[in-house]
Amino acid sequence: MSDADADPDAAADIDDEVDGEGTLSRPASERPPYVESTIIMTTVRVIAPFVLTLGAFVMLHGASSAGGGFQGGVIAATTVVMLGFAFGIEPIAAHLRNEQLALLVLSGVGTFLVVGFGGYLVGGNFLQVSGYETLFHNGSKYSIELVEVGIGVVVSGVITGLFFLLGTGVDTGAEETDTDTEPEADR
Amino acid sequence: MSLSVPVAAVLLFMLGSALAAAALRDVVGSIVAFAGYSFGVAVLWALLRAPDVALTEAAVGAGITTVLFLLTIARTSVSRSERFEGISLRSGLAVVAIVVTVGATVPALPPVGAAGTPVLAGDVSQYYLTNAYDQTGVTNVVTAVLVGYRGFDTLGEVAVVFAAGIAMLLVLRREAFV
Repeated sequence: MSDADADPDAAADIDDEVDGEGTLSRPASERPPYVESTIIMTTVRVIAPFVLTLGAFVMLHGASSAGGGFQGGVIAATTVVMLGFAFGIEPIAAHLRNEQLALLVLSGVGTFLVVGFGGYLVGGNFLQVSGYETLFHNGSKYSIELVEVGIGVVVSGVITGLFFLLGTGVDTGAEETDTDTEPEADR
Repeated sequence: MSLSVPVAAVLLFMLGSALAAAALRDVVGSIVAFAGYSFGVAVLWALLRAPDVALTEAAVGAGITTVLFLLTIARTSVSRSERFEGISLRSGLAVVAIVVTVGATVPALPPVGAAGTPVLAGDVSQYYLTNAYDQTGVTNVVTAVLVGYRGFDTLGEVAVVFAAGIAMLLVLRREAFV
């Protein structure tokens, strides 16, 4: 790969020979189109609820078994990725709004910070979860689990966002591609 | 160092898929080989009894990273003129340098699972293992350390994930995720 990057002329020459499938940024019209597949759609329809449940389990059960917010968040976000691959990324993106994803990510960070600053209120320091024991029984355990859920929400929101950014987006070189098909579908 | 049969098999699989990922000319095949390598790492962590890390490697390394790579490749073009990528002298020298460095430093590490390693014998980890349940009520020591004892570090990690999302918006010059 590095050779091709270092020598764009040579790469372009090779690409011209294989009937032009080799510009660095492929125009949207030439990208492989979404193909409806009954097998993939049915499979995703069946396993998506289980994957989402596994993600929630790993996220919520991180205090008692292997797992935690980071892993559970990624597994939960995989549900959206699978739906995107099965039913097309654009239709799935049309069901989501940017405010929802941004709110998801911000609420996760906010949960972590609230638990952190709450440590002052219960007589401890920043993020001192043992202070919550004075409020209610098993307070530190439940605050740790709340933080894990916050982490999971941040991770799943950001990964979903990255997936749609790469899957639906306009290219960095916006002037090189035809932007008349995609943006109004996105926003 | 004794090498059990499953660990040796996984290491061999990782070596093969790593070589395939480096040498394959077809970028999609290279990505798949890289995902196979990540899967091998995840199995290795599970065999070494680190389920938390194994779960992370399987979900992030073998799963999401592969999807993001494939999406990126779908937006760029792939030329399949040759089966294998040529290896330049510079890349070869870099590989030799890395191999020599790693080969010279890794034997200095204690063997996996040795009783005298700082990880097992050190005061800090023993403190965590002894007190984590009593002080936090959390049975998974990894989670107890992550949030209970080292919450500030974890807050930093969350900030990094958050910043990655923002940075992606900046790089792609967009203002909305969807």
